[in-house]
Amino acid sequence: MDFGSFLAAPEIKVKVITYRDIFQDKAMLENRFGEEYRNLSAVIKLDPADLKQLSVKKGETVILKNSFGRVVVKAEESGYETPHKGIAYMPKSPWSNMLVSDETGGTGVPKFKDISVTVTSAKGENVTELNF
Amino acid sequence: MTNAMELYQMLPKTNCKKCGKTSCMAFAVALMARELTPEDCPPLKEESKYKENYEKISEIFKPSEGATETGLIVHEELCFGCGNCVVACPPNVANDPYGVGSGNAPKNVNKLVLTIEDGVVKAQNLEECRRFGKNKILCNGCIVTCPVEAIEFV
Amino acid sequence: MEKNYYVCTGCGLLCDDIEVESEKDKVNKVYTACRIGVAHMKETRGEAKFLVDNKPVDEATAINEAASILKNARNPLIFGLGTSTNETQKIAIELAKKINATLDDPSSFCLGPLAEALIQDKLKTCTLDDVRNKADVIIYWGTDPSDSHPRQLSKHSYFPRGSEKQRGWEEERTAIAIDVRKSHTAKICGNYFFQIPPKGDTEFIDALIAGLSGKLPKTSYNYPPKKILELANILKGAKFGVIFVGRGLIYSLENLEPLFKLMKILNEKANFHLIPMIGNYNTMGFNENLFAETGYVNSVKFENGTVKHGPEYSIVESLKAKTVDAAIIIGSDPLSILPRSIAKNMLEIPVISLDHCETLTSKHAKVYVNTAISGVESGGTAIRMDGVKVNFEPVIETNNPSDEVILKKIMEAL
Repeated sequence: MDFGSFLAAPEIKVKVITYRDIFQDKAMLENRFGEEYRNLSAVIKLDPADLKQLSVKKGETVILKNSFGRVVVKAEESGYETPHKGIAYMPKSPWSNMLVSDETGGTGVPKFKDISVTVTSAKGENVTELNF
Repeated sequence: MTNAMELYQMLPKTNCKKCGKTSCMAFAVALMARELTPEDCPPLKEESKYKENYEKISEIFKPSEGATETGLIVHEELCFGCGNCVVACPPNVANDPYGVGSGNAPKNVNKLVLTIEDGVVKAQNLEECRRFGKNKILCNGCIVTCPVEAIEFV
Repeated sequence: MEKNYYVCTGCGLLCDDIEVESEKDKVNKVYTACRIGVAHMKETRGEAKFLVDNKPVDEATAINEAASILKNARNPLIFGLGTSTNETQKIAIELAKKINATLDDPSSFCLGPLAEALIQDKLKTCTLDDVRNKADVIIYWGTDPSDSHPRQLSKHSYFPRGSEKQRGWEEERTAIAIDVRKSHTAKICGNYFFQIPPKGDTEFIDALIAGLSGKLPKTSYNYPPKKILELANILKGAKFGVIFVGRGLIYSLENLEPLFKLMKILNEKANFHLIPMIGNYNTMGFNENLFAETGYVNSVKFENGTVKHGPEYSIVESLKAKTVDAAIIIGSDPLSILPRSIAKNMLEIPVISLDHCETLTSKHAKVYVNTAISGVESGGTAIRMDGVKVNFEPVIETNNPSDEVILKKIMEAL
């Protein structure tokens, strides 16, 4: 049930799949602290239905949160023809890595492509700066 | 993309031959091949009753910004520089089988339609493109092999 | 006129047909390379040369500081080396032995298990040149080379004419993508894109094996059996098949068993090879060089002439358990590429960063050396992702020392 839509700030849960993006990689080579790299990295691509439920327009920022971290990124529409409500996509970057679990089962391999987060509107808050 | 039949529907359909072609259909085909331009049909250009159609057709064949003689446009900002189009382009393969045809750097640049420069595809030697001239065919080798829509024909 | 081609070290493909227009220390124009390759060859560098505590120092001071960090450490970590030459990697292995270090590279959390299986001949493989010359069925599984290795399809797999594939891709090759999303590569594969749910790879492999054995392929996510049977039939007919495996597949599997089983049956019914889609230009080199020295491809700990191995010696587990007390990072940026929940532990130990650009890691390093861009400003040898050794010359000149030179100097100072 979509209790989220009755709350003041709707919240949804999504699974995040990370991927490589050629223009983001190119921007990193050019300047990994630059604006272009941030614009192409600090992004989550959502299903239009999820955007609607969040009352967030594409290009606005959202808060992604789980027990490992909190990060503000720009929300975009994925553009995939097949609906994928509940699944979101992020280019692999320091921003997606802020949300990756430290639980590895002793294997040495973090679950980079298996991230669960809650998403809410960031109400205009700026994208998280790349820093430590 | 418009086809010759759609163009024909907008022509005077009088087969007056003033354009030098034997029929309005032949004129439509010549338009498609970019052999003739809309101005080459005097009635279409001059008679007021065809004004609207003349404008429509002219709009279709308006030289698009950046478009080449074959109508090829490269959207540089989208291009990955992967070279799929370079390697798949039939005239490229025919003219440079052991260079670009085999996936390698060009060995015979002079006749290549597509090459990669600074990570972006560049179109040249368009007389070699199969979409050029009288015997043109609607080859789409560079379009279907592109991971994005970086090449377009208008 | 004989042309002078350079090797691009922008990714694991090591394209060897790049023409460059350059001045002494600047690349002006690059021909044939992709976006990534061009950005790599034209990379610019920061001003800083040698920093200690983010303050400029001379070379000797930086080297001495680095040596003293390593000398005072009980269990230093040596990590990175995916964008270093074989020659540099071999020196790093020597250094690890000398200082009883933990030594690891990004393959421990990427495609390491696959590289190990290939080096140990547990999987049938072939070269990219074989793929170009012979392959009729090409599978991209959990990988999107169009974005990560842009010339993979045009230079090595789907589109080029090869010695036994003269008639071109439309007639003689079938390209198949299996992925959780419609990637750019999947788009090119058209009707041969098989979209599966996240974590659905193991079941898909089982279903495919069933299909190959003439049984009804079943999945809990109800993948249409007809489509799996259609795929099985294409694979059965392959005279020279190849599977390019990416992290999407490896992260989804508990272990490599399903992949071994699939490769076994594919080679009973047809002829199949496997090539890992390795990102950095010389990760395969690191895996091979360390294997030759120790019998392991990554995650090792040297101790007075002996070597220990296991996931506890990977960068992830050693940072998580805080078992390492200093680190020298060569051409890598763990603070960016690791989960922050783990990488943050690196802030507690002294770090030496050798890199040609400033990174999050270098900004938080005790010592930073701005090294030459490996493959652009310095040459050497590397192992391509298919195991082929490649030699390369520097494209332009630099005053910055190579990571090889710096490691040697640190060794001497110890």
